[in-house]
Amino acid sequence: MAGFIETVRFSDPYFPIFVLLVIALVTAVGMVFLSQATGPRKYDKIKYSVYECGVDPLAPASERVSVKFYLIAILFILFDLEATFLYPWAVLFRSLGLFGFIEMIIFVGILMVGLVYAWKKGALEWQ
Amino acid sequence: MSLGNLASVGYFLPELTVTATILLLILMHVVTKSPRSNAFGFLSLVGVGAAILLSGIVPAGAGKSIFEGMAAYDGFAVFFKVLTALATLVVIFMTMDSREMDGRSQAEYYIFLLSTLLGMFLLSSATDIVMLYLSLELVSIPSYLLAGYFKGRERSTEAAMKYVVFGATASGVMIYGFSFLFGLTGTTQIAEIGRSLAAGKATLPMLLASVMVAVGFGYKIAAVPFHMWSPDVYEGAPTPATAFFSVGPKAAGFAVLVRFYYTVFAAPDPGSALWRLTSAVDWPLLFAALSAVTMTVGNLVAVKQDNVKRLLAYSSIAHAGYMLMGFVLLSPAGLKAILFYLVVYLFMNLGAFYVVILVSNATNGGEDISDFAGLGSRAPFAAVSLAVFLFALTGIPPFSGFIGKVYLFAEVINRGVYWLVVVAGLNSVVALYYYARIVRSMFLDEPTDTAAIAVPGVPRAMLLLMVAPTLILGVYWEPVARIASDSIRMIAF
Repeated sequence: MAGFIETVRFSDPYFPIFVLLVIALVTAVGMVFLSQATGPRKYDKIKYSVYECGVDPLAPASERVSVKFYLIAILFILFDLEATFLYPWAVLFRSLGLFGFIEMIIFVGILMVGLVYAWKKGALEWQ
Repeated sequence: MSLGNLASVGYFLPELTVTATILLLILMHVVTKSPRSNAFGFLSLVGVGAAILLSGIVPAGAGKSIFEGMAAYDGFAVFFKVLTALATLVVIFMTMDSREMDGRSQAEYYIFLLSTLLGMFLLSSATDIVMLYLSLELVSIPSYLLAGYFKGRERSTEAAMKYVVFGATASGVMIYGFSFLFGLTGTTQIAEIGRSLAAGKATLPMLLASVMVAVGFGYKIAAVPFHMWSPDVYEGAPTPATAFFSVGPKAAGFAVLVRFYYTVFAAPDPGSALWRLTSAVDWPLLFAALSAVTMTVGNLVAVKQDNVKRLLAYSSIAHAGYMLMGFVLLSPAGLKAILFYLVVYLFMNLGAFYVVILVSNATNGGEDISDFAGLGSRAPFAAVSLAVFLFALTGIPPFSGFIGKVYLFAEVINRGVYWLVVVAGLNSVVALYYYARIVRSMFLDEPTDTAAIAVPGVPRAMLLLMVAPTLILGVYWEPVARIASDSIRMIAF
């Protein structure tokens, strides 16, 4: 521990990050405690009800979400990431040449196989 | 020094073969009308067989760094590729013989199996912490799916759930450790990290990093105290998958453990053939303690098990403990002992699981020791084979397990770690008790059902193929020992 304290230097490149960490911690914890300590407390029925844009609550807030949403979300992330890979590739397309083209064809091809599988399995249908 | 992407492809043939097989399996599953056919198994067999043949086709020599330093192509990696692919091959046969899989879609099962194999290939050759993490996840995620393959079965789902939670925690801790290493050294190449750490003096972050990384690898090899997932997963997963988990990912875990720690936290000692520690962090002592605890807990808890799959789970924990002994010695002979032990362990453990599957087929899913009662008269061939495997697992001469243990114990004594050898010796005695319990039940207990169990041709041939090395390696082990000592050559940067 003593060695650790000795090694803390203000010129350290990581020192600003440490400061950021301390500020973030103090702000977050401070906000919670300040509002706890100074805020007024008035309780009534409406305050405890579920907030639905001012409309009267229709159903309990903790509803079960169909697993299909996750399926769609995962598929979306997959192809979203594919697009993210395609952008830098498109920018450098000329300098990468034929090698880059074939590499991307293989990459997209593998993803296509996945898409065909998901399609065939009915993952894209919302029964 | 490292080869570029295009030049590396020639050293990547087994991986490419497995990838192509996976894609073919998916396409075949999409096209075909009968997802339950054995065709998927046969296609996987061809793919994995080709990968084994291609593994040794390019001589490793002194080793090459491929894909811009992402992976290594050396004797060490090739050894583990062949080992894990062999295990997969046997498991595919097991799956086709197992009645558990009847009436279920088989395609995805083989896709997960081969994806895990691809991950194990990459894991045993990874030389960059990003690559290493990625391949560890490629081993883990299909494993979770395999464990939970029987969707409707409560135990299978529980197994998958526990596996995911433990796996996610362990790999989270591990990658936090990696981030320390990256922060200390500014590079993701393990060889660079090793050199950089050897030059510096930062012991506290290094200690943290070495312990955190040990969590991730310890989980993969199921070392105590990161073993809690394994009995439940082994029990709930389909039996062929259990056999696979107990050999494949464990071997790949040892590969990455050795490569990582011997590169990052140790360096070859110029004065001798040994390695030396490059920092004040005494991780061999940490792992020696883990080894002793692992084998003791594994063996002591195995004594109380009545379910054979659980028993073999705890026994495989104990075997990880034995193999860890070779890891802490920092000597070539210690590594050689691990590699040799993994070869004999592959045959004896997969063989034992094969008989478990046959018994489970015949007794409507029975997996308790009582289901093995009278197997000696009901299916003499299977019973004698299982007895051979179990005595080999105990480490009794003249079976292969004995030679494996001799190599491990001898090197521990050579390096003067006597307390560890005493612990391991006592453990072997405990192990004899629970393995012999199954043997006693097979030959001395009266069966409730005396009808003979038919063992068809393919399982019979496979059992023979695994009994043979278990017996032969017990009396003539020299060729395998030579391969093992040739294969400890890791790439030098």
